[in-house]
Amino acid sequence: MNSTTDNQLMEEVKEGKVERLAILFERHQVPLYNFFLRLTGNRGTSEDLVQDVFFRILKYRPTYRGESKFTVWMYQIARNTHIDHLRKRKKEVPLEEQWEEASSREPGPSESVEQLQDIALLRQALAKLPLKKREVLVLSRFQNLKYKEIAELFDCHIGTVKAHVHRATKELGKIYFELSGGMVS
Amino acid sequence: MKCKHIKVKFPDFLIGELEDISKKEIQEHVSTCISCREELESLSEIWTKLGVLPQEQPSDSLRSRFYGMLDAYKQGLEQEKELPRVHKLRGGWLTHWWPRQPAFQFAFSLTLLLAGLTAGYFLNLNGKKVYEMASLRQEVQGMRQTLAISLLEQSSPTERLRGVGLSYRMEKPNKKIIQSLLDTLNNDPNVNVRLAAVDALYLFHENPTVKEGLIQSLSRQTSPLIQVSLIDLMVNMRERRAIESLKQLIQDEKLNPDVKNHAEQGIQQLTY
Repeated sequence: MNSTTDNQLMEEVKEGKVERLAILFERHQVPLYNFFLRLTGNRGTSEDLVQDVFFRILKYRPTYRGESKFTVWMYQIARNTHIDHLRKRKKEVPLEEQWEEASSREPGPSESVEQLQDIALLRQALAKLPLKKREVLVLSRFQNLKYKEIAELFDCHIGTVKAHVHRATKELGKIYFELSGGMVS
Repeated sequence: MKCKHIKVKFPDFLIGELEDISKKEIQEHVSTCISCREELESLSEIWTKLGVLPQEQPSDSLRSRFYGMLDAYKQGLEQEKELPRVHKLRGGWLTHWWPRQPAFQFAFSLTLLLAGLTAGYFLNLNGKKVYEMASLRQEVQGMRQTLAISLLEQSSPTERLRGVGLSYRMEKPNKKIIQSLLDTLNNDPNVNVRLAAVDALYLFHENPTVKEGLIQSLSRQTSPLIQVSLIDLMVNMRERRAIESLKQLIQDEKLNPDVKNHAEQGIQQLTY
């Protein structure tokens, strides 16, 4: 991987070398896509949102302050992008129903049918979590963000983030247990 | 109280970011507190289970869309860079000329526009278009004259007639064509060709050379047809100088009586 840090690259983009955004895109498009996928449950929407995030990065590049990590700033934009998307498509298809497409796909060579069912169940459970809890959980569990960074992102105390993670995990476990018919192994 | 203190550390325990002392503290507590142990176990279980959610790859279209957007954005930036140059230019010499009042600005712009349109119109009219038309016409005329002259020199009367006919269509025949027509009138062996030449020269009778040539030609002609048509031509031209030529013609005893009669009438018409 290129030794130039995200922050250095973003500084260059801010100064007008917009082509340097390509490196940031290559580094973050997959995690960002999966972040949206876990929030929305829809692949097409997630791709649209990733595109939108990088467009906003260009648009708002003069407002970038290198004090915090680039990813914090990027996820801030990602959250806003997602919220705007939800506002636009309010009262449309409920979230948990959108994962059907994913659960119906063919199992991969390393995936058993049981595993696929488990994945589908987890996604359903995740979709039932309130947005903020889902965001915190996804960011801490999948996006490799530290609690401190999430606190910065949500503009709250680190203790609040930890409490959210605790509650969100607990709630997710409960939903998952209910969905699997109380037969958690 | 102890439980609350321990539970606070659970989130850090989940992500594995706990110092050894805290970890040991938790382990010691859950070995005795069933409620905290059960909670930690269920938390860890679902936390670990989340790991089965695969990381998916976006489709290729995401990448191509991104690079398309980046290119478009770069192009937009480059176009923006062009704009300040125009502002700089305006800030230079134009500020001295540019009025500050919007009304004057409007008037100034309108004047410039009108001036431009007018200049364009006249340049177009007097310049290129007219020049092109003139040169084109000149070219055609030149071609016709060359053709007419060469036809007048042909041995065939038909060709020579064509040559005369062609000279009819000239607006301003040059000296060469006039001379050729006069030569035809005076020397052409064919009466029909000479008659056609009379008609052709009548069209250019305003030309002094033509006028002079026609008057002089009268005494040279022997054919009654040509003589009559020349007499008519003199009368129509109201050419008083022709009276002398006509009087000389009458003196000729060999003259056709009809022609003589015609000439006398002509003298009368020209005298009054």
